[in-house]
Amino acid sequence: MGKKKFFVKRKKVCKFSAEGIEYIDYKDVDLLRQYTPVAGKILPRRVSGTNPIYQRKLTRAIKRARLMALLPFVGD
Amino acid sequence: MPTYELGLVLTPELEGEERDAFLGEVRQLIAGAGGEILKEDDWGKRSLAYPINHKRDGFYTFWTFQAPGTVVAPLEYKLRLSDPVLRHLILNMDRELRRSHKMQGVRAARKAKKAAEAPPAQAAAISEGE
Repeated sequence: MGKKKFFVKRKKVCKFSAEGIEYIDYKDVDLLRQYTPVAGKILPRRVSGTNPIYQRKLTRAIKRARLMALLPFVGD
Repeated sequence: MPTYELGLVLTPELEGEERDAFLGEVRQLIAGAGGEILKEDDWGKRSLAYPINHKRDGFYTFWTFQAPGTVVAPLEYKLRLSDPVLRHLILNMDRELRRSHKMQGVRAARKAKKAAEAPPAQAAAISEGE
């Protein structure tokens, strides 16, 4: 039997359903940056806790922002 | 007439009057098709997240306008062929916001239903308590 590992579980909340943000704007760079860590990748739902509906909207917004050169395709 | 949102990224080389002239052409194209520009949001010069055509900066502007759907194709065509446009994006905001409008309706209906149901339930609870 392996040693039991203990860690503090943090409750993950979906920011969008919690704050009632219905439309995720691709121009809201500061918001989108929270979901694109250094590599510029889109933070997965399993990490951020975003609800599926909003995760899809978020993904679309991030991709639009990338097209408009507001966010990088590849980070540094 | 649907509401559209136009995002434009222009070369930083296009400045002052030249830029105004170009934006004027776009404005005219929208107005000529019977559209009306509701809002213009200039971000000014902003550094691009990655270089486009060896340029590191871009002039950002976002417009909200109302126009018949027939304006989109010619507008897209013009922007695509214009050299100073690095990037452009036209979104139909009615379509984008459709779900949230629908959800607002659903939420309001739910609230109304709850409000309609609540008073009798509350009254019953009170009478039971007594």
